Amino acid sequence: MPLDVAPVFRTYETQRTLNPPGIPALAPMPTGETDDTRRICERFGEDIVAAGLHNGNQVVMVEPSQLKALATFLRDDPGLKYETLIDVTGLDRSHLPLNGDARFQAVYQFRSYSRNQHLTVVADCEDEQGGDGNQAQIDSLTGVYRGAEWPEREAYDLMGIRFAGHPDLRRILMPKNWPNHPLQKQAPLGGEEVPFTFTWDDPEFDTLGTQILPAESKAPDLPPGMSRQNMVINMGPHHPSTHGVLRLVVEMDGERIVSIDPDLGFLHSGFEKTGENKRYKDFVYYTDRMDYLSAMSNNLGYCLTIEHMLGLEIPERAQVIRVIMAEMQRIASHLFWLATHVLDVSGTGMSLLMYATRERERILDLFEMACGARLTVSYIRIGGVWQDLPDAFIDELKGFLRLMPQKIREYEAMVTEAPLWQERLTGIGYISAEDALGMGLTGPMLRGSGIDWDLRRDRPYSGYEAYEFEVPTSDSGDCYGRFIIRLEEMRQSVRILEQAVDNLPSGLYKSNNRKVALPPRAELDVSMEALIHHFKLMTEGFHVAPGYYYNGIENSKGELGFYVYSDGSAKPYRLHVHGPSFNNLYAIDHISRGEMLSDVVTNIGSIDIVLGEVDR
Amino acid sequence: MGIEEKVPEGILTTSLDSVINWGRANSTWPLLFGLACCAMEMIATGTARHDIARYGSELFRASPRQADLMIVSGRVSNKMAPVIKRIYDQMLAPKWVIAMGICASAGGPFNNYAIIQGVDKIIPVDVYVPGCPPRPESLLYAMDLLRAKQRGESVGAWRNVEEPVAADEIMPLGV
Repeated sequence: MPLDVAPVFRTYETQRTLNPPGIPALAPMPTGETDDTRRICERFGEDIVAAGLHNGNQVVMVEPSQLKALATFLRDDPGLKYETLIDVTGLDRSHLPLNGDARFQAVYQFRSYSRNQHLTVVADCEDEQGGDGNQAQIDSLTGVYRGAEWPEREAYDLMGIRFAGHPDLRRILMPKNWPNHPLQKQAPLGGEEVPFTFTWDDPEFDTLGTQILPAESKAPDLPPGMSRQNMVINMGPHHPSTHGVLRLVVEMDGERIVSIDPDLGFLHSGFEKTGENKRYKDFVYYTDRMDYLSAMSNNLGYCLTIEHMLGLEIPERAQVIRVIMAEMQRIASHLFWLATHVLDVSGTGMSLLMYATRERERILDLFEMACGARLTVSYIRIGGVWQDLPDAFIDELKGFLRLMPQKIREYEAMVTEAPLWQERLTGIGYISAEDALGMGLTGPMLRGSGIDWDLRRDRPYSGYEAYEFEVPTSDSGDCYGRFIIRLEEMRQSVRILEQAVDNLPSGLYKSNNRKVALPPRAELDVSMEALIHHFKLMTEGFHVAPGYYYNGIENSKGELGFYVYSDGSAKPYRLHVHGPSFNNLYAIDHISRGEMLSDVVTNIGSIDIVLGEVDR
Repeated sequence: MGIEEKVPEGILTTSLDSVINWGRANSTWPLLFGLACCAMEMIATGTARHDIARYGSELFRASPRQADLMIVSGRVSNKMAPVIKRIYDQMLAPKWVIAMGICASAGGPFNNYAIIQGVDKIIPVDVYVPGCPPRPESLLYAMDLLRAKQRGESVGAWRNVEEPVAADEIMPLGV
């Protein structure tokens, strides 16, 4: 019996009856105006459907015919200067009460680094009435912002929106013969029913361990644009240096790389679809498993988004604990990056792997003290953190902070000045500031090209404005510059941690709002009301007012963004994750052209990808 | 008593099974193959604190042809499943599989369209390790269990293992 890859429809998943009348509801129109929306309205007039503020974000809704003109205007107008398109995603509104409105919308997140502005642009997709959703179409923005290429391919793959004028509109995550577009609302979640009793007579067990997937047998195709005149080398998905299950098809002319076509999706786990079928609080546990090297930051990014939509105040102590955890996670993530990067590039790197993971284990020990888990922590929850720090935590952390700067010097002594190391990194993987902006790169990839931008400093969250730290940048734009930046970021994280430890206030570790955050365990024994709250939160969850919000935080790898669309129910209607690894990996083709095959490994290490987040 | 009285001093007799199993159980080389979060704990098992070298398994081989043990460390997507099957077929017998973590064992939290609900749907599994992800200690314990299994096996048993289907009959590695 071949394994059936077609999704299995699960009827028990949807429980619409829990929703009071009036749900699901459409998000309200944006209200008010800002300088930017006024300027856009002046220029486009009637073609702007609505403009203003929504949940604190600037939003512009535009006629699809004018989308490309608007994007060009946003980029080129001296008064706007939105240099970067951060994210593109789609929204399938077929389960919302539409009055003949378009079913699909495309949602764009623009960012102006020079003016520190963020703008959300929403455009309806043109679609035939009552169609099956496979004809939705909108103009591609790849001609204006190069970095739109992959996000648009992702939106096409998962949502079925066709981008007219896109140079290479193929599936990017799912297998190319996949039967549907999984994020469309009529596509089932899939999966298998969980049996609670087993009998060994079940026919399922006849083939256990011997099943194979049905797959056609044929010679590999060449990716579009590659020539058989050149040598085509397949790297991955099982390869020691691709940091996971990434596949690169590398076209080579002699020793030089002509182009690279990354093949993603080998770890696609359906996070977004799963999130849309879970209550808000339940997705926190999934965020751990996306970028599994910075679980704390993922928790933080998601919780901040939902908390903003709820308008929830977070106690001071919880905020400082969050900063402590996020910065420790940044150090741990960078340590692992350093270990694997050095291991990939230099054959003698095994010792540095051992040293760096030794310090990382100390951080994991501290996580374990706080929450019991090493890797998938789920410590930061909506409303605060799971529980208060144990008494011994701060002393342990202080001990670690005393040790860490000395250890960073040790790592530096091993590689920074080493001629072999410099030879392999200097001038490799060069990316100019314009390219970095056009491709929508974030994090150290952006700072490595001289753009002085850090969300912690420039759009502070969780009280980052209270800490003193520097944002390291480099003008060199190569792998060596990014290497120096990440080392310096570890030092700055130590600095933030020292300030946070000294100023840790006493007080609540999670919000007192019982409608959102669970009551403390001790309260359940004495208070009936607490028991009711606990029961309500555990069974139904909390409702979020209709609306949408995009929020980005500075992850160790770049900007980690969450776009959430709420229809008023207890589950997100649309949950999109903007993973920094995904956008940064887009640069691999550009920065590797003309270099050697061995430099691809250097470049992958320098981009610092985690496949769980690339593929989601 | 028997042959032992006839051979000169310094020579021991044993059964072929025990001496070969002794070797197999004490130098099981894992495949350098990580999928998701569990791979991080697999690497942690290999580094200094947990030190898998104590058990003779520190030599992670990148080539399936040199590896004895596949540690499926993470969730198996529909796109990855044929690749895993192919890598498993490329490994030479005798070979063993550890399903590390709940995703590889039974799908775990990802009961959805993208993830295969347990790697045992495509390849046979010897030891299942619970946890999300399992701690390095759990993986070391799984290696212990595997070693016990290896010691109880008979050398002859692996001779009758079916030849795998030719790899290109299973799947294309198309683009």
